[in-house]
Amino acid sequence: MASSQVVKVLIVDDDVVTRRIYRTMLLRFGFEITEAGDGKSAVNQFLTGNEYDLILMDNDMPGMNGVEATRTLRGMGILAKIIAITADDANSRGAFLDAGADEFLLKPVNFTMLTVILKAFNFLN
Amino acid sequence: MASAPLKAQLTDLLNSMFAMDFLDEQFKELQMLEEASGPGFLAEVVTLFCGDAERIISQLSVLINEPVVDFGKVDANVHQLKGSSSSVGAKRVALVCVKFRNVCQENDKEGCIAALHEIRHEFDELHKKFQTMLQLEQQIQVLDSK
Repeated sequence: MASSQVVKVLIVDDDVVTRRIYRTMLLRFGFEITEAGDGKSAVNQFLTGNEYDLILMDNDMPGMNGVEATRTLRGMGILAKIIAITADDANSRGAFLDAGADEFLLKPVNFTMLTVILKAFNFLN
Repeated sequence: MASAPLKAQLTDLLNSMFAMDFLDEQFKELQMLEEASGPGFLAEVVTLFCGDAERIISQLSVLINEPVVDFGKVDANVHQLKGSSSSVGAKRVALVCVKFRNVCQENDKEGCIAALHEIRHEFDELHKKFQTMLQLEQQIQVLDSK
């Protein structure tokens, strides 16, 4: 985990509506939230020394997509849990998991499913 | 309570929106989130969505009226609108986006023009209902706080 005891989450999605919804879902657990609008911005967060425990990663984004961002972050040695969240069909699931994502959810995200995954990752008491 | 008739009106409005497929289960998910996180969340998300959808639809109109249509850009915009409409539970808008992407991927300009008209119609209908919903919620809040 990042040095603070608060779970630090990076939400990566080019849609402001979707980011707002995830933010509200995760703030319920007292997580600390940062947002990025594309894969390159997400990678830059880590390049500038920020640390995160969890990343919610969309796929279809301008510039660098979620699969590329995931592969880049794993190549940098980033160990944060990555949940791939995408409206794409199951084809992107394989690409995401090969790139190093830990879990995969189809949009729209169900809060209950997200909670199950967060518990499995031991982010919730 | 003074707000009771307005609450009944709001319930009727939402029930009809679900019955006519303007909204789906994802909107109920957002309603549950609002119950847990406090008032204002739904209003903010709906307002964000409507502003974003309006921007994308205007952009689509510009792109489709270009002499040479960049179907890649059109598709990217429709994909974004599909994503945000799915996230708020705007079922009919999301479904039209699927049709739009299909004609876009066939580089069918006439099909795109027709799909854009349909999206504009569906979004305008939804937008009016969302505006009514937000007005009712505001009035209810004012009455309940007295």
